[in-house]
Parts: sequence; structure tokens; C-alpha cells
Amino acid sequence: MSLRFEPRLTRDWGDPSVIGLEGYVAKGGYQGLSKALAMTDADIVEVVKSSGLRGRGGAGFPAGMKWGFVPRDTGKPTYVVVNFDESEPGTCNNRELVERDPHRLLEGMAIAALAIGCETAYLYVRGEYLWQSIVLERAIAEAYATGHLGPDVQGSGKRVDAVLHRGAGAYICGEETALLNSLEGLRGQPRLRPPFPAVEGLFASPTVINNVETLMNVPDILVRGAEWFRELGTEKSPGTKMVTVSGKVERPGNFEVPLGTPFRSVLEELAGGVLDGRTLKAWTPGGSSTPMLTAEHVDVGLDYESLAEAGSMLGTAAIMVMDDTDCVVDCATRMVRFYAHESCGKCTPCREGSWWATRVLERLEEGQGLAADLPIMHDLGTNLLFRAFCALADGTASVINSSLQHFPDEYEAHVRLGGCPLKVEHLEEVLA
Amino acid sequence: MPGEPVTLTIDDKEVTVPKGTLIIRAAEQVGIEVPRFCDHPYLAPAGACRQCYVQVEGQAKLQTSCTVPVAPGMVVRTQNTSEAARQAQVANLEFLLLNHPLDCPICDRGGECPLQDQALAFGPGESRFIDAKRVFPKPVPLSPLVGLDRERCILCARCTRFCDEISGDRFLELFARSAGERVSIAAGEDFRSPFSGNTIQICPVGALTATPYRFVARPFDLTSGDSVCQHCSAGCNVRVDVRRGEVVRVLARENPDVNDAWICDKGRFAYRHADAPGRITTPLIRDRGLEPASFGEVLPWLAERCRTGRVAFLTGGRLMDEDYYALSKLARTVIRTNDLDHRRAFHGGLAEVVAAAAVTDRERSVTYADIEHAPVILLAGLDAEQEVPILHLRIRKAAAHGAKVFVVHPRRTRLYDVAEHLPTRPGHEVFVLDRIREGVDDGSFEARAAAALRSAGAQGIVLAGERLAEHPLAADLALAIASKIGSRFCYVTRRANDRGALGAGVHPSLLPGGRRFGVAGERAEVEAVWGPIMASEDGRDAQQILQACADRSVDVLFVIGADPLRDHPDAVLARRALANVATLVVQSVELGGLEPFASVFLPAAPAVEKDGHLTDWEGRWQRIRPVRDALGISRPDWEIFAGLAAAMGSDLGFETLEELHEEMASLFVPRVMPERPNVWAGAGAPQWLDDLTLFTYPLLVDEGTLSDRADELKAALEEPAFAEMHPVDAEKRGLVDGVGVRLTTAAGDATVPLRVTDHVAAGSVFVPFNQPGLAANTLLSGRSTASVTVEAVADVESAASAVPDAALATGPPA
Repeated sequence: MSLRFEPRLTRDWGDPSVIGLEGYVAKGGYQGLSKALAMTDADIVEVVKSSGLRGRGGAGFPAGMKWGFVPRDTGKPTYVVVNFDESEPGTCNNRELVERDPHRLLEGMAIAALAIGCETAYLYVRGEYLWQSIVLERAIAEAYATGHLGPDVQGSGKRVDAVLHRGAGAYICGEETALLNSLEGLRGQPRLRPPFPAVEGLFASPTVINNVETLMNVPDILVRGAEWFRELGTEKSPGTKMVTVSGKVERPGNFEVPLGTPFRSVLEELAGGVLDGRTLKAWTPGGSSTPMLTAEHVDVGLDYESLAEAGSMLGTAAIMVMDDTDCVVDCATRMVRFYAHESCGKCTPCREGSWWATRVLERLEEGQGLAADLPIMHDLGTNLLFRAFCALADGTASVINSSLQHFPDEYEAHVRLGGCPLKVEHLEEVLA
Repeated sequence: MPGEPVTLTIDDKEVTVPKGTLIIRAAEQVGIEVPRFCDHPYLAPAGACRQCYVQVEGQAKLQTSCTVPVAPGMVVRTQNTSEAARQAQVANLEFLLLNHPLDCPICDRGGECPLQDQALAFGPGESRFIDAKRVFPKPVPLSPLVGLDRERCILCARCTRFCDEISGDRFLELFARSAGERVSIAAGEDFRSPFSGNTIQICPVGALTATPYRFVARPFDLTSGDSVCQHCSAGCNVRVDVRRGEVVRVLARENPDVNDAWICDKGRFAYRHADAPGRITTPLIRDRGLEPASFGEVLPWLAERCRTGRVAFLTGGRLMDEDYYALSKLARTVIRTNDLDHRRAFHGGLAEVVAAAAVTDRERSVTYADIEHAPVILLAGLDAEQEVPILHLRIRKAAAHGAKVFVVHPRRTRLYDVAEHLPTRPGHEVFVLDRIREGVDDGSFEARAAAALRSAGAQGIVLAGERLAEHPLAADLALAIASKIGSRFCYVTRRANDRGALGAGVHPSLLPGGRRFGVAGERAEVEAVWGPIMASEDGRDAQQILQACADRSVDVLFVIGADPLRDHPDAVLARRALANVATLVVQSVELGGLEPFASVFLPAAPAVEKDGHLTDWEGRWQRIRPVRDALGISRPDWEIFAGLAAAMGSDLGFETLEELHEEMASLFVPRVMPERPNVWAGAGAPQWLDDLTLFTYPLLVDEGTLSDRADELKAALEEPAFAEMHPVDAEKRGLVDGVGVRLTTAAGDATVPLRVTDHVAAGSVFVPFNQPGLAANTLLSGRSTASVTVEAVADVESAASAVPDAALATGPPA
């Protein structure tokens, strides 16, 4: 398969003028918003529903359906919250989307606000994204100045305000209910569901939380229609997806591909193949929290269904590539250490289990592993998966389970050899 | 609304519970215990500890039974019938124990620890963890009462949720995250909540420990008895733990009708009174000094004086119903006087009569349950947190359910975050209440309160506190609001059994059951049981009795479980009265400051040694059983009264508690209530005076005798005396926050540091009644308010030493 298609999200990346409002409007920007203003709320929701647009934050929930869940008769305000807490290891495509085309996000956000009758939309920005916050603040100021946001959007009499809120640097705040807590000034820990955010979200009011990339697809869907949107991608996963490729490849970076594009095409055509012509050993399809796959899976399509069938997930489409010189136990240690560090502490399995797993993995990698550690790792994988309060620990479990499943020999070698078999000098020491 | 029944099966047992019930609660209904740590029936579900996994058919993942409500036809399998649930629970306990220090042998919680118990019952048996455990410095004192051991903590967040959801005193919070997460408190803060001890009791491990109980006992060393707290009228159910005869701990006992699962820190930590070094367990009689004697010697001696002299009785508010009843009968039928009073100087008027009568009929009372479900509550003259703390918690619970709460009080109360307050100058409550009664419609506080009460109808509640009893009309006016609108009404007295004393007729004009002495028909009902009451007119109240003693027109004064020197709002008069009365009989557990004045001491047993009832603010009778035997030859007060009657050649008609109860029961039957006023002549407009009104009431933790030796409690919560003044008044006088001021009233003067705060009403000055550094009754002349002048002094320290506290102990004036 050859990757030939008309780029959508990245089509203006070559033109720095779209960062400013004038350039964005010159390229047809804010026409989706105009169109939405001429439609009823229900019709906006209907168009997005029929486009089949699915949430790009990881779970892949249909966006239109999410909007449709919002009750409008509660007497409370409704809210749109943009989840720009992009924190998954290996993921940085929201960041580049915002840096290069901030108004598209504001336009998508405003359309979502109209669709659910929201007058105040919040942008929750990852704490470390200072520059991106500045870019967005400038864009928001421009949009207010020209009437695309504010008390009278494009002269329609409708109000859409935008409030930018920077997080304080916690991975958990990408989880939507922890994000809501953080936004309300509370501790960033996930909330019990139900009630779901659509019913009782921000300030106990009906709330829609959408990922940056999801919303940036919306303006085009309104302008060009649902059918156009479905021209790329698969039946169940229509549209394009931003993928972030990192690790042992020649050309790491963010790329837009139609959903369903095989990993091989991304690796070979876009990322220039494995670094220095070495051999592919393992890769994560959607960030470190999605189960890692191997060279066997190189032809799997990058869409929700195909990856699920292969035993993993699309996640944030952050592809991290490991080659044959990389130690899987070492990779797992780094990944699990991240999840242990980022566990919010609320529930036992995640807080204690990921901490224990880190202790054991560090010992294995340092050559202090015991035979008894392998059953402990197996048990940890079992006891972390689907046991915790939120999905964070499922990510921890995915690392453990997938690395054990695909590379059991490598774990055993660490115990048998008293160290990492891929650190050659170390190996010679051990064998001597 | 709960109620709709849902049927499901748990471990193949069918159970029907109301809709909305959590699986874990439904399992309890059929005797199935699912292990849990973060779950607590009075806290919102958290799902944090993940211990209570069960399998729900049709669900791919295990469910936490503490967060999932039941559904019709649900099939639940607990660890008893599901291997998956059992395995998950074992694994979770392994996680919980990874970083737990397993120092059970030196942990206060060892032997009664939910983690220990459940690890034994459901845990893995041994640990596979070989790495280094997390360490923290410990214990960290959160306050002089509460210590925190973060190594033992399993981060269930019960304590932080208690602070957040129940007390609203949000001192504790989870800090940091991941394996470094810990319970903590803001730097420099002390856990200054009067409910802090509850966090210790609900801690499922030994992470929070009580300083007074630290290393004091093992659970198997303790003898425990169920009791009711005597510190205030809340009626909290408690468990008293005794080690070798000494009370070493008090815990809350769950009772959803009364205190839920909570008690205040005073109830929990002020327990050393019964074992105070000043405890006297034999009678004493003044010969050369006060010499020990037997009841056989003392009672005839006393009987002789009672036969020939004019006798009066003053009691405190903490005796048992049975004691009050026996005294009421002794005074009326044997001594033949109505000169008896349990009050200090508060007169609740008709509201008081209604409260007394309501003791006979629970249906007419306001209950905790009524508070919990009330849509509107008006509090007037009541600082619930300081006076009846558990009532305060229940009002907060109502507010959390959406109740509108209005407070008319001269000083901001701790309900400020959930209620609308109207700071009202003492004495001006009548004008505010009258406007509410009239139902003004001018957008004011009064209009909002009136409208809310009207909309709530019979569900609305009006609570009148003792501060209203200061004004001859105020409490009755609060009653009139309730009568006009149809709200429920309660006159809330402070001390543990004020209500019982009222109900029994330890009152110059009330007989048992709120029957008025002056109303022939009502008196006849009592005489039908007691025989003729020989007194001819209403008796004298406490102030009048003391005045009569001072004037030597009373010969024998009984002071029973009270200390007029400290309690009576006229210290000078109290001292003159005690000095001048020919025979002073002190009946109590100790003499205290009354020692120089006492002619006779009669040793009464404290509550831990007594059998009887207390009547809480609702009018609820609760039985107390003795936790230990009476020390020495001290006896329950009612027995002493019966002994005195016998010594006088008479008979109270009962020799056992059963006989006493039988007789009481014949008088404590529901009866027609006195008519409530429903019209009121307008109170008129307030007269704004240029002077300042001093007002005072006791704070929860003070120098009261029941808090004797509760050193840690006092260190945590007691403040030295202070005065509070509104910024407007302070500015007028050129006073600033923190300066020393001299307060001068007609009765005396005192020097204390000034707090300038808008938490008190303009025109008023607040001083606490009985804090270290100031016995406020030295500033009073028989009422708890007084006109006061305030001036700055150069040096608080030198002036503070002139506090009359010390003068009181020096004995009768020359």
C-alpha cells in the first residue's frame, strides 16, 4: 500500500501564516463555525454522528454520540472541556497540531459548544506545555477580537467563552474525571462513575470532554460533510489519524495517515525504516500503555478494530520502535517506573502494585533477580489488570503482560545470567 | 427516594433491599461479610482500597461491592463462591501489606485492627515482598491529641473524607502521589477540630492514634461498658473502656437515631474526671475540719437541720433522671419547698414548659431524624458546635442534603459555611424573631427565613438555644414562630440532663412532666401519685435562692453536682450566699472550690458507676449501665435522697430503681400540652444603645470540672480567655486587634487580649464563660449579659494576674 491521500489535519502545516487568524481565515477557517451557527444543535450532533468520528484520545468513543448524551433540561449550564493534557509517553501530536494550527482547535471547540448549548468552554493544557499555552492564548485573543469567540459569536447573538487552564504536571489528569477535579481546583484523582461527566461533570453539570485531535476534525466535517469524512479510513474507523513515531527509526516525527494504514507503511514509508537498518524487535502501537507488539505484527492496520484483534489498542497512536539491541526488560522497567511515578495514589493496586513491579524489574535489570521474581511478575500483571479505580494501572499491566507474553526468554535470561544479556560487556563478566 | 425494593442473589442467597443499596450493604443483610477498608457506612463510597471485590454475573471485570448499587435480578458472588473474587482479595491484601510495617505487637490498634483481622481471615498468610519498605518519620503529632504514623497508613482516605464530608473541618488531606502519597496537614497547622478523634476511631489500621491512649492498654486488658456521654445534651452513645478500674478510653458507639457513629473530642477525651485525685468516696462532716463520717452519722444530723430550717436545693445539669425525680419529690413532699432549681439564670418561659412537657411524649419532640430530613432549620441563640456538637454535625448533614439553615446568634458559629447567619446584638433577637414571625417581605434575612419556613410547613424546624432564655420574650417568640407557621420546635438546653431535670420538675414552678405547680388541675395529677404537696406558692429560682442565702433567709442549702462559684452568672453573690448560709450541703464526687464553705459532704457516684437514664436535647431517654462498681461508700444521688427522707422519718415510696421507675412511669405519660401562643404583640423596634453589651457562654473545651485532667484535650482545643469586638466598635474606641483591654461591668473588671473581628455583632463584646485567665461570671450580675465598658491597658500580663479566679479559692470573706 502506498500512502497517497489528501492530508486533512496537516494540510496547512507548510504554511506558517495559519497560526494567525488572518492566515487561517484566508484558508477557509471558521467557515465550519459559520455553518454550525446556521444549524440547530441537534443537526450539528447528527452530522458528527454520521461522520463516524471517534475520540482520538485513546478510547475511541464516537464523538457525536458523546455529544448526544448531554441532557439539556437540567437547569444547569453545560460545558465543553478540551483535553489537551497530552502526557502518554511517546505522544506529541496534539502539541504539533496546536503549534501549527491553533485556530482549528478553537473552531472545533466552538462548534462542540454550540452543539450542546455550552457558553463556556475550558481548555485544559498539560502543565509542561507552556509554549503551546502561549500560542493558544494568542489565538483565543485573536478569536475574541474578531468575534469568533465571546458574547456574540460571528454576530449570532450566541455566547461561547474560552478559558485556558494549565495543569500542574500529572499524567493522571489526562483521565477525564481527574482532569475535571484538577480543573475545579481539587486533587487530581479520578472520580467515581456514575455519575458520568455527560450528566454530572464539571461543577456537577453536564460536560463533554474531547481530545484536541477529535475537535480539530470537526470544522471540516461541517464544511465538507460526513460522507467526505468517511472517504478515508475504514468503515468503523473513518478519517485520518495523527501518529507519533519515536524510538529506533530513521525519521521520527508526527505523521497523518488514514486509519487502517498498516504499521509497515508508517515504519518504512514515513519513518524511513528501523534505525541503521537493524531489525524490528518490538513496538507499541498507542503509547507505552498499550500492549507491545512484535515484528510478527508489522502488517497490522492502525485502526481500533485491527489492533484490538492483534491484542493491543490504538491508544494515542504513539508508536515507539525497539530494535534487536534493545532489552525488553529494560524498556518495561522504564515504562513501569513511569506509571509507578504517575500513579495518583488513590487506589491500592496501582499505587502499591506498580511500585512493587518497579522494585522487581529494577532488580532483574541490575542482575539481582531471583527465580521467584518471574511468578511475581506474572501475578502482578494479573492483579493490576482491570482491578484499579481507573485505567492507569491497566497501562502498567499491559507493559508487564505483553513483555512477558512476547519475550519470556529474555526475562528468564536476566535471572539465569544474573544481568541483562544485551549488555555484552556485562555478559562477559557474568560468564567469566 | 429509597424504598423501592430490589431483589438479587448474593452467594445464591436471595435478598431484598431498597433501591440504591450498595452490594456490600446488601451482603451484610444476609450475613455475608465482604472485607473492606475504605468503605464506611457514614461516608460516601470511595472505591479506593479495592478490597471488596465481588463477581457480578454479566460483568467482565470484578466489581468493588462498596461502589456498585444493587440491581434487580443481579447475581453476586463474593469470595465465598467465586474463586476470582477470592484471588483478587488475597492479592489486594498482599499489596496493602507490602509497605505496612507489621509492628502489631507495639501498635495501639493491635488486637482490634481491621487490617490485622482481615489479613488473618482473607489474606495470603505470608509475604513474598523482599525489598526495602517505605519509611517515614513517626509518629507525627497532628495535634496534642492525634498522632499520625504514615508507615501504617493504607491510604483508605477515611480520615480525609470524614474531615471533608462530616465535620467540614478540612484539616487532613492526601499529599503527593504514587507510593509517596500520604495523609498530612498544612505546614504549621494543628488538627484543631473538635471532632478530630473520630478519625482515630474510623482508621482501619493504627495510623492515627490517640495521644492519651498511646501505649496505655491492649484491647484484651479492657473491660468495656456501654454508656451515654455526660458532657452535653447530645446523648451520644459511647463505650467506656476501663483498665484495672480506671477509665482509659471512650469510643463512639454507633446509633443512627442519635449520634450516627461520631462523638466530639470532649466526649472522647475528657474522661479522667471520675478518677480525679480530688474524688471523695465517704461523707464528710465539719467538726474542727471536714472529717470523714458514715451516712449513718451524717443523715440524721442533716435531717434535724432540714426539719427545723428553711431549705433550698441547687443542682447541676448532669444527674440522672432518677436522681432528679427523687429530688423533686423529696423537696415537695418531705422538705415541703418549691425552692429548687437546676438552671443557672436562664428562663425559657413557655418554651421551657413545652420542653418539660415534651419529655413525656416523644412524638412531640424534635429528633435527630427530623433534623436530618428537615428542608429548613432556624437556629436562634444556639451555637450548636460549641454547645451540642453532634447536633451541629446532624445539621451539617441536613445541609449537605440541601437543607436551608438560618442562624440568629450574636457570634458567628461554625455553621457559617452551610448556613445564612444574622449576627444579632444580644437582646435584639426579639426584634429579628418578631419580624420572622410577622413574615416580613422585604428581601431581608428575616424574610428569607420566614419564607423558607413557610414553604417547609411541618417539616421546618425552629431550635431555640439558651442564649434566647436571656430575654424574657425571646424563647417564647421563637415558639410563637413555630406555632404560627406550623414548624416543629425545640428548646435546646446545653447540659447532659438539663432536659431530664426540667422534665422531673427540678424547677421552682414546674412539677414532673411539665405540670405547672400554679395550675390546680396539673398539680392534682402529681398529687394523685405523690400525695399532697404542702408548698403554697411557686418557689425561688437559682438567683433568688442565692440571694436568700446571702440574706440568711435560707438555712440549709444543698448544692448537688454543681458549683455556683463557677457556674452562676454572679460570682460575688454566689460567694456571699455560700459564706452566709448556715448549713451548706455539698453532694458531688469532689469538693473543689466549695471546700471552705461546706458543712457536710455527701459522696455521690459519678455516671460511670451509676444505673439510670439521661434525657438528651430531643427528650429521648437513654439508659446508662454502670461500667464499674461505686468507689468507697459513694452512692447514686437518688439513694442519698431516699436515705435523707428516711432519716426525716418519711419515705419517698421507692427503695429500688424498679420501684422508682414504676412510679415515674405513672407520671410520664403523654398529656395535653400547654397551649402554644399564636398571637404576639409586636416586639417593637430595637433601641440602639451607645454602650456595649457583654455576652458570654461556655465554649466546648473549658475549665469545667468534667474536663479536669484532660490535658491533651485542653492543649489541643482550649484557648486562654479573650474578648471579641466588632471592627466598627473597636475603631470608635481606637482599639486594635491584639491589644490588652480592661472590661468593666457593674460586677467587676477583667483584663484580656482583644480580638477585633466581624464574627461578633456590632454593639457586643464576647468573652468565653470559663477559659483559663477569666471566670466570666465575675463580670455578671445574675444574667449572662451585662453593659460593659472597654479600654486599652498597657500590659495584659500584669493585669491578668488580677483575675478573680484565685480570689474565689480564698474562702469566705472576713
